[in-house]
Amino acid sequence: MMELRALTKRNCKLFFKDKGLFFTSMITPLILLVLYATFLARVYKDAFLSAMPEGIALDGRLINAMVGGQLLSSLLAVSCVTVAFCSNMLMVQDKITGAYKDLTMTPVKNTTMALSYFLSTAAATLLICFVALGVGLVYLACIGWYFTVTDVLYLMADVLLLGLFGTALSSAVNCKLSTQGHVSAVGSIVSSCYGFICGAYMPISSFGSGLQKALSFLPGTYATSLMRNHCMGGVFRQMDAEGIPQQVVESLRDSVDCNIYFFGSKVGIPVMYGVLVASISLTVAIYTVISRRKSK
Amino acid sequence: MDKVITIENLHKSFGSIHAVNDLSFQVKKGELFAFLGENGAGKSTTISIMCGQLSQDSGRVTVCGEDPQKSKKKLGVVFQSSVLDGALTVKDNLQSRAALYGIGGKDFQKRIQELSELLHLEEIMDRTVGKLSGGQRRRADIARALLHKPEILILDEPTTGLDPQTRKMLWDVLAHLRREEHLTVFLTTHYMEEAADADFVVILDRGRSVAEGTPLQLKNAYTGDFITLYGVTQEQVQKFGKPFISVRDGYKVQVENTAQATALIGKFPDIFVDYEITKGKMDDVFLAVTGKKIEGGAEQ
Repeated sequence: MMELRALTKRNCKLFFKDKGLFFTSMITPLILLVLYATFLARVYKDAFLSAMPEGIALDGRLINAMVGGQLLSSLLAVSCVTVAFCSNMLMVQDKITGAYKDLTMTPVKNTTMALSYFLSTAAATLLICFVALGVGLVYLACIGWYFTVTDVLYLMADVLLLGLFGTALSSAVNCKLSTQGHVSAVGSIVSSCYGFICGAYMPISSFGSGLQKALSFLPGTYATSLMRNHCMGGVFRQMDAEGIPQQVVESLRDSVDCNIYFFGSKVGIPVMYGVLVASISLTVAIYTVISRRKSK
Repeated sequence: MDKVITIENLHKSFGSIHAVNDLSFQVKKGELFAFLGENGAGKSTTISIMCGQLSQDSGRVTVCGEDPQKSKKKLGVVFQSSVLDGALTVKDNLQSRAALYGIGGKDFQKRIQELSELLHLEEIMDRTVGKLSGGQRRRADIARALLHKPEILILDEPTTGLDPQTRKMLWDVLAHLRREEHLTVFLTTHYMEEAADADFVVILDRGRSVAEGTPLQLKNAYTGDFITLYGVTQEQVQKFGKPFISVRDGYKVQVENTAQATALIGKFPDIFVDYEITKGKMDDVFLAVTGKKIEGGAEQ
């Protein structure tokens, strides 16, 4: 236990003190913020307004909350995975610098080392994502607040689960990497692609049907949808309360990926949680098997 | 003396490359053991097996009477390149390392105090490793390897790239530890003058032990004497019929022993005006046993 605590503490300290790793993990969320600040927010705002039937005027705060909720959900959906991958690159860097080999000279078991990387990555990812969530909620409180306590609690659960999924996935991938080239390749792929495939930059509903079907096999799709539901659920409830037709609200929910379809069937929220939990379990199991094989 | 490391008929291959080939040697408690060989000779593979990082294909390895996997607490290792975490302070590095051996709290404070005095770490303890000089970093490396009071300290080319002052400090510290704590030192080095101070030397070539013994035994067995002549021509030196190399201001001639040098002086007194006779060095032993040529001379 003392060994695990010491290693986890070391890994966390190294991640936050290594400016390269830390800022790399922030690149994708920063790109997203820039996109929203420059044009995405305006595009979505215009899209929402044009989707409204004639004669219905929406409160400006409701529109702002909708756009802000989409921004926050996208930001969290991306950060939970990209931060985890960058934080977990320490595992590969330790192999490159020889620190990993050095650690294997000690009586510490390989499985303890593997667990320490997992825990430190989870801690760093969740810390950054929960801070981002806090800042995002303060921002939404300023521009338009339609959350219930339950929404916030669900959103926290979403961050926790997606953070754990990102940690588990990055652990399973990174433990097979061993060179700087691997780090650059995986880092670039994750940073540049994940934002697109999870629907953070553009909603999955705006993609072609083939791609939508392909993405419906990815757990990240459901995590993004969960976050969309809990970030924007209050806004849709308010729309209902203001008498906006159900069809319009459902169409809006479809357009922002609150509703996800698996080969035509709408996926319910409990199923989305089930997919996420199953994915975490599966990737943790894969990581465990790889780590145990290594120790043998 | 007790044997702390025993290696018998060790074999290890990586694909078609036979990295260690029927290697056998023993290291006695408290001795300075030098393990020499060119890059790729099999030193690192042998050390990795001794440290429990690699498993052998065949042969027997025991460290302090145990399987290497069970004797990790008895080994301290200093690599050629520092593996300290550059972004952390020396104290952070030592603290996280000590915890891996179950050392914490007051025990850690006590041990850190001892090592601090021994290696003069006080002024660098709170400094970031990445900002230390090579010598300071090496001191921290050694402290890290000694934290858990190992019985055997493995030094993998520990003085490469260090200034003479730091090298001297390192050897003084090791001499102190060997004297006071009977620490066994297992050394690999490219500096042959360091190997000359060892109690026992094994020279490895292509995975095999090609020579072993005390430095004196090896010098007697593998090198002769050297006559360095100044102010002479190459034609004059060629008259000896002995291998030679050109050195600054003269030539260095290899002879089998001092008696042969004396005979040459008697035979060519007019050539021997300004000269000196020296015994062979560990460099010469190494060159002789690994089959290298020396410039202007015959195959050794």
